Amino acid sequence: MRRLIPFLSAALLSALAAGSPAKAAAKKPILIGIDAPIQLQVGKDIVAGEKMAIDEINAKGGVLGRKLAYVVADEGMNPQLGVSAINKLTAEDHVNVLIGGFSSGVVLAEEPHIAQSRTVFLGVGAASPNVTALVGRDYNKYKYIFRVNPLNSTLQADQLIGFVNNVVKKKLGRKKIAILGESAIWVRDLVPVLLKGLQGDGIQVAYKEFFDESMTDFTPLFARVKASGARYLLIIIGHANSDTFIKQLYESRLPMPYGGIDVKSMDPNFCSRVGGESIGETTVNFVTRAPITRKTIPFWDGFEKLYHRAPVYTAPGGYNAVHLYAWAVRKAGTTKAGPLIKALEGADYLGVGGRIKFDKTHDVLAGPGYQNILFVQWQKGCKRVVVWPKELASGSVILQPWLGK
Amino acid sequence: MLTVLIYGAVTSAIFAMLAVGFTLIFGVARILNLAHGTFYALGAYSAFALTTILKVPLLPAAILSVAFVALFGIVMERVLVRPLRNSALAVLMITLAVALTMQQVLFLVFGSQSKNVPAFINHPVTIHGVSVDGQRLVALSIAIVLIASLWLFIHRTRVGSAILAISQDAEAAQYMGIPSNRIFSLVMGLSAALAGAAGVIAAPFLTVRPTMDLVPMITAFSVVIVGGLGSIPGSILAALIIGYSETIVAFYWNPQWTGAISLIAVLLTLVLRPSGLMGKPISL
Repeated sequence: MRRLIPFLSAALLSALAAGSPAKAAAKKPILIGIDAPIQLQVGKDIVAGEKMAIDEINAKGGVLGRKLAYVVADEGMNPQLGVSAINKLTAEDHVNVLIGGFSSGVVLAEEPHIAQSRTVFLGVGAASPNVTALVGRDYNKYKYIFRVNPLNSTLQADQLIGFVNNVVKKKLGRKKIAILGESAIWVRDLVPVLLKGLQGDGIQVAYKEFFDESMTDFTPLFARVKASGARYLLIIIGHANSDTFIKQLYESRLPMPYGGIDVKSMDPNFCSRVGGESIGETTVNFVTRAPITRKTIPFWDGFEKLYHRAPVYTAPGGYNAVHLYAWAVRKAGTTKAGPLIKALEGADYLGVGGRIKFDKTHDVLAGPGYQNILFVQWQKGCKRVVVWPKELASGSVILQPWLGK
Repeated sequence: MLTVLIYGAVTSAIFAMLAVGFTLIFGVARILNLAHGTFYALGAYSAFALTTILKVPLLPAAILSVAFVALFGIVMERVLVRPLRNSALAVLMITLAVALTMQQVLFLVFGSQSKNVPAFINHPVTIHGVSVDGQRLVALSIAIVLIASLWLFIHRTRVGSAILAISQDAEAAQYMGIPSNRIFSLVMGLSAALAGAAGVIAAPFLTVRPTMDLVPMITAFSVVIVGGLGSIPGSILAALIIGYSETIVAFYWNPQWTGAISLIAVLLTLVLRPSGLMGKPISL
């Protein structure tokens, strides 16, 4: 036993030296906590986009000599699950930053817990203006929260008004519309802004209805839309089952074209998923394979090469957020929240969909050069064509097959 | 008005297909099968897998899907339910476990995204100026044919007589030489086939996703409670009442309230007529 003591002592000393706090801290990776509804495509792409960015950054040596690592927690579509995910990531995994969030209702429930943990949060999926409004109301408490993606629903409403005015009214000659939207926070935030803007522009809203996200038979709603005499149907769906909605809408052969915001229709495989019955539907998208910035096409092609499919809008959101975070850490020279927040507040970073710059409430700006909304229509052969804005359009808007030309 | 009549008939027919199978297995084997919605989901997913992944033409795919679900029901009865049949609570638990497990299996195999099942007819049909989705009319026709065939099978064949005998007194029927276990398996297969067929014909115009089993399960349960547990005519009558009530509410009031119709009907039935509209302990 005595002979063993020197060996054991040496082994113990080596272990202590290797595990000394200074050395461990130098090598310890920067840990990104991803909160996302991982059973949904939007959630899977939050993870996929972030992982792609992490790999790119690590391949170039990481940030401040440290590699990036990530841990995922499922926030589902349920506020309770979301709060548990945040608490796990911050209290158990001790992540350096949180990047994710999809449902506005879930993110709003998570925010007090994010603030309490004093961890910077970069949102990439939730659209309610209230997500960042808290920063304006109580800066000291909520300054950790930023929205990188998507544009908030008020900004989306502004761009939707532009689409209705320029495409629906001027190009298609339709001034009387109906609105069908799911009963969700972001839609209820969006619709009042939309109504005000449309009425100011001489558009008549003949019918408006919010429906439950769990609804599966929309035929009675379509009958009411038809009876209203509307000549265009504006749809606003994020969480509801839009596959069924669009199929039933197509099979209803409503005597009017339709389009708007349909989050699931942003999926690259949506058209084939619904058996081609989304032909004629126009929906917003935040990115497509077009030279929006010098980073757009390399991102798109890189994503397709890596995952053998096209990304949905949360993928560039997650990708941008990770690169933006790495940029901010380099600029701040630390991962500590205080200097990092200052760096992010001063950021003017070129992302995949445009420049990323935050307003006073830490919400991402929209407009020329910044992030924008594209209106993309499913056309013959399930091809996606950008029909608005004019400067990025890759084709003209078409009508649904049964409406003629 | 004609729109409501047609859509109400389609909704009622789907409800009836779900409820008749559910009540049949209860009437004969006294089993409350909480995996009944799973049969519906499996029918839809089988049709999707066969038509979209394996490129099997729709009609053979539909027949194969129904056969697969029937087989699934028979295996489930033989392997999981039969050993526990002496305890109603154990049967409830095992069928609930099957439902939850299959939901997760569908999640893992097919993912969370909705799936598209092709329609037999994917263009509208105009009836007296009312445009109706063609697949809904196909669903209505198939439902009527299947329920009528089941009725004839039970009341006009020797096996049907055996089913009736067991539903009236399982023990006495067994003493008379009727192989009750084989009849239970057959009835479970029929019940599963009906629900699976409902899934196949409704899938093109309703939702195909892993959680699609829950609403049909609740609907079947509600229809059977209103109609009377174990009564096939009661289930058909209740399916018509609830189906038309939901359609009228959806078209003339608010589609969001349709889910409340079943619950109100169940509550009223339990308060006013607990045995249901045509419920007798032993009636098929």
